[in-house]
Amino acid sequence: MLLGLGKILIFPGFLFLTVYSLLFEYLDRKVYARLQNRMGPPWYQPLADFLKLIGKEVIIPAEANKTMFQVLPVISLSAVAAAFIYVPVLGKEAIASFEGDLIVVLYFLTIPTMCLFLAGWYSRGVYATVGSVRTLTQLFAYEVPLFMALLAPALIAKTWSVTGMTAFFAEHPLYILINIPALFVALVAAQGKLERVPFDTPEAETEIVAGPLVEYSGRLLAIFRITIDCELVMIASLVSAIFLPFMTGNIALDFVLYLVKTVAVLLFLALMRSVMARLRIEQMVNFCWKYLAPIAILQIVINLLVRGWLGL
Amino acid sequence: MSLIKKAIDWGTRKSPWIIHFNAGSCNGCDIEIVDALTPRFDLERLGILQRGTPRHADILVCTGAVSLQTKDRLKQIYDQMPEPKFVIATGTCACSGGVFDGCYCVLGGIDRVIPVDVYIPGCAVRPEAIISAVVKLLGALEAQQKGGGKDAERRSDYSTVGREIQSFEG
Ligand code: SF4
Repeated sequence: MLLGLGKILIFPGFLFLTVYSLLFEYLDRKVYARLQNRMGPPWYQPLADFLKLIGKEVIIPAEANKTMFQVLPVISLSAVAAAFIYVPVLGKEAIASFEGDLIVVLYFLTIPTMCLFLAGWYSRGVYATVGSVRTLTQLFAYEVPLFMALLAPALIAKTWSVTGMTAFFAEHPLYILINIPALFVALVAAQGKLERVPFDTPEAETEIVAGPLVEYSGRLLAIFRITIDCELVMIASLVSAIFLPFMTGNIALDFVLYLVKTVAVLLFLALMRSVMARLRIEQMVNFCWKYLAPIAILQIVINLLVRGWLGL
Repeated sequence: MSLIKKAIDWGTRKSPWIIHFNAGSCNGCDIEIVDALTPRFDLERLGILQRGTPRHADILVCTGAVSLQTKDRLKQIYDQMPEPKFVIATGTCACSGGVFDGCYCVLGGIDRVIPVDVYIPGCAVRPEAIISAVVKLLGALEAQQKGGGKDAERRSDYSTVGREIQSFEG
């Protein structure tokens, strides 16, 4: 009981998630800066930003819904932290798992986006409303390809639990090769989920200031920022658990491997962020439905055929 | 308690986010500010980020002699920023009115409307001068935090922090 609580709260649960997410933000910004031929921020920058925001005044607009305005950041952070429980960090075992937790994780990951939408909606600002409507529009574009891309490997593994999939693919690493298109779709859709360039239309700071977060300040903004970082860690962990489950069997080595894999995913996402420009919202929707969704469907068909052919 | 306050003070010094406002400048100084934000000067080294919204910003970087049209907007932007907040007057116009001083449509300086912490003269200012001003502001802030930082009422004195005119020979 106590051990379980420690796992959930400290390692590899909530505390690890927040610390690692600050590190992730640093790596992301550093790589971004190096690709622009800059020095980039010092290693403590995300921590300094977080502490500063904690100490700042919180302004709630007079027209905003006070309760919702303050509750939404906390809900989104707790949803991401809850999702993290089901993703394997130490070895093949997640803190908790049951048949079907993949679906739960995906729905937990939708909550921060919904919170972002509601946050913009309840702030009652013009920019915030435009941003939140774009958030929702974008949600409809990337969510389906992302779900299909993450569910396709489940067809081969014949289990709906993240832990089960990791275990299956760790035993049969060659099946990963079949899932490469799904990996690609998942990474691109994840970029949309995290609202990063080229899919950062909802918070496009050059046109709609900061999107849904326009009215947020102080510690509420700090919580939202750390939620977004945690989501980044979460997506990287999920992708590396499902698509890159190479294991050695030794717990310490596996943990190092986990760090290497998640950082590799992060590097790819950061590279994508640096070399692309922002798309307009309808270009984004078109791209997702015209290219990502068909690739994901193709992947599902392939996986079904492979499954029948191999008699799994 | 004091440890938390120390951590927050440290964060405040290490992560100044700026917002840029043009209060009736000729655009010369604005271009220099944009220049200072380019990869060549790499302000992210100091933790400086440009934010679009006053709610996220700590430092208001203003240019221009405050025309009557922008007076209310300047005040409004300043009021929308959360405490603690600082103001940097960028360019001779923002310090004193500059070439527009005495004109019928300008107030002649940012400090006629809102309290200013650092003045940077120059027409137009150089990017190095802007960076140096931000560093001096943070230095003065540190001295202030270390000096009389025992009560919670630190906000009220912030507006007088580092009230110094600095010149920059470029
Ligand atoms: S100081 Fe010179 S460059 Fe700057 S706004 Fe005034 S006139 Fe323009």
